[in-house]
Amino acid sequence: MTDIKLENGGIEDFAVREHRSLWLDAWRRLVANRTAMIGLIVVLVFILSATGAHFFWEYEARLDLDFGSKLLAPTLTVTEESPNIHIFGTDKLGRDIFRRTVHGGWNSLRVGLVAVGISLSIGGILGLLSGFFESIDMNFWESFALMTVLGAGLGAISAWIARQSFQIILFAGLGAGSVFYDRYFTKNKLRYVIFGGAGLLMGGLSGLLVGPFVAFVCGILGLGIGLMLSRPVGGKIFSNIVMRVMDVILSFPSYLLAIAIVAFLGPGLEKGMIAIGVVGIPVYARLARSAVLSVSQKEYVLASQSVGESHGRMLFRHIVPNILSPIIVQSTMGLANAILSAAALGFLGLGAIPPEPEWGAMLGDSYKYLSSGAWWAVLFPGLAIVFSVLGFNLLGDGLRDALDPKIRA
Amino acid sequence: MGRYIIRRLISVIPTLIGVTLVIFLFQRLIPGDPAVAMLGEHATEENVARIREQFGLNRPAFLDRDALAEGDLAGFFDSQYVRYFRRLAHLDLGDSIHRRIPVAETLKERFPATLELSLVSMSIALLIGIPAGIASASRRNTTLDGVTMVSSLVGVSMPIFWLGIMLIMLFSVFLQWLPSGARLSTGVEIQTITNLLLLDSLLTGNFEGFVDALKHIIMPAVALATIPAAIITRMTRSSMLDVLQEDYIRTASAKGLSERVVLFRHALKNAFLPVITIIGIQAGTLLAGAVLTETIFSWPGIGKWVYDAILGRDYPIVQGVTLLIALIFLLVNLAVDLSYAALDPRITYD
Repeated sequence: MTDIKLENGGIEDFAVREHRSLWLDAWRRLVANRTAMIGLIVVLVFILSATGAHFFWEYEARLDLDFGSKLLAPTLTVTEESPNIHIFGTDKLGRDIFRRTVHGGWNSLRVGLVAVGISLSIGGILGLLSGFFESIDMNFWESFALMTVLGAGLGAISAWIARQSFQIILFAGLGAGSVFYDRYFTKNKLRYVIFGGAGLLMGGLSGLLVGPFVAFVCGILGLGIGLMLSRPVGGKIFSNIVMRVMDVILSFPSYLLAIAIVAFLGPGLEKGMIAIGVVGIPVYARLARSAVLSVSQKEYVLASQSVGESHGRMLFRHIVPNILSPIIVQSTMGLANAILSAAALGFLGLGAIPPEPEWGAMLGDSYKYLSSGAWWAVLFPGLAIVFSVLGFNLLGDGLRDALDPKIRA
Repeated sequence: MGRYIIRRLISVIPTLIGVTLVIFLFQRLIPGDPAVAMLGEHATEENVARIREQFGLNRPAFLDRDALAEGDLAGFFDSQYVRYFRRLAHLDLGDSIHRRIPVAETLKERFPATLELSLVSMSIALLIGIPAGIASASRRNTTLDGVTMVSSLVGVSMPIFWLGIMLIMLFSVFLQWLPSGARLSTGVEIQTITNLLLLDSLLTGNFEGFVDALKHIIMPAVALATIPAAIITRMTRSSMLDVLQEDYIRTASAKGLSERVVLFRHALKNAFLPVITIIGIQAGTLLAGAVLTETIFSWPGIGKWVYDAILGRDYPIVQGVTLLIALIFLLVNLAVDLSYAALDPRITYD
């Protein structure tokens, strides 16, 4: 018997390259992309300067007033006219524009980030669910949850009319009952009679407690709701409803919708974030839905379905990781858009409340003094917007190339 | 085809109803009373009540459940929303609360201004975007391509209101070449036919008026055209790049066809579908983006008007304009879908 010594397991295959994850691969492609790196650096400069200024460079906007040095042109040296150096000049209240631009970045970037967060979380989840249930049938409990919510929502109308909030619970129960009926009884036309009748009785009888007319209206409404709930709503209809709602939001002119939301909430930076976030929801919902639809046709999803994996596991192990790249790209570009929209709202006087520095609001403040020739008061805040947005756009472009090398070919 | 168009037109209706519902929901939610906004803080309660009565603002927004509880079925449905719908059926958009003029009348006057601005901007965007995209795709990875791509990225990143301000600064304040606002100089008159001033002045042979109108529209139109031009450039380029890799392009070149014929007859026609889609989306954005441009250039269109109306709680104006813009947006979408069939014989609708 010969002794065999094995070194390195005995196999040395030079063709196998070191193991790299998908994300590491993408990162290497990103680093190799010059324009993307420029974008990344620009973005980092803005983020670092804004957070640095916010935490370490004290600025009290309310106390910043110096009428002695108003509308001074940019200077790099100390002159008689301006005892201090203002490399970006000063505005109509004598405030140093460089200081306000750097501090304004904190507000503008924050608006962008929160707004994208709002649109991404709401729109992403809606799109994920509608795409998923459009291609994969709902199971019993998912159907149960959907029908209960749907029943409660429809019942809320009847409950509102009769001022009886308990009707919400009644109709939620009716929705839930429909799922049980569908599972345990034969599927014949009788269900329309049963559920229509139950709805009629629920609305009508509780309406009678208020008055005959209320009973009449709620009864008819209940009948309609009952008929609607008599068949459990499938994933396709659910997705359809969600997407139609998104269509309605999309068919509003985006700025008008944002302005209307701010008019409703009142001006302020936080309100602007919400407005821009809500307006952006449909974009992410549509993107997530279409990405899910294409991924869920893939073999690995079918395989996981056929071995009986739970829906949650299918969604988060197989689908979500595979739709991340378009969503990351869209979010980066969305940040650029959100910064632009925030600046637009600020410009219209609906964003940050003065004297709080914010790029759009600074432009809106100063452009009325345009005829005085104070170009610096509008040039620098504007450049800050352009460069930060450009940075995010470059980075987004690079990310797309890095995450989806097939496009490049 | 005809049946498809009718079906699509019918499917517009539920979306429009959704839009009106959302408008009314907002109207109910937005704090502030239009009657108070109109009469001022110190108005007597009597006067406020009279205005509220006159414009139906004292009615509930959707349904009157109190009337129903008292047994008044007709009163139940007598809400602001139902009244609005009844008027809409007669194509009546209601009266402005502040100025007491029919909304439709002011709309007729102001909408052409926005339409003219959008049309000129779109033309500029197309004239720049499509040639730039084609040139950039056919000379891929050259300096020309690089310059085009960088400038289109800068264009996408440009806040149009800032660009507008910088244009005014340069051409109106420093060089004093172009006027900074309005559609016409005072003293210049154009006989109005369509209210599209450029068209009207040409139709009436008013050359002086045409030049004046052109001078006024050029800056706002360029500012508004920047983003669509940049987006169309990028879309045309990437779509052309896809098509140029196809076998039939190589075949066409191999046959000895000139580069121009290959580019325009073989490639562009096939690359145009995604471009059309983007153009459609941008057309909707143009109308909406007008809010900012019109504010800066004091352009008397619907953008500035509706902005003031939202802040002044003049609901009939907001309702009318939003509905109109949403309708145009949906119709443009339909036109885009139909143009697919016109451009690509493989696509049919039935």
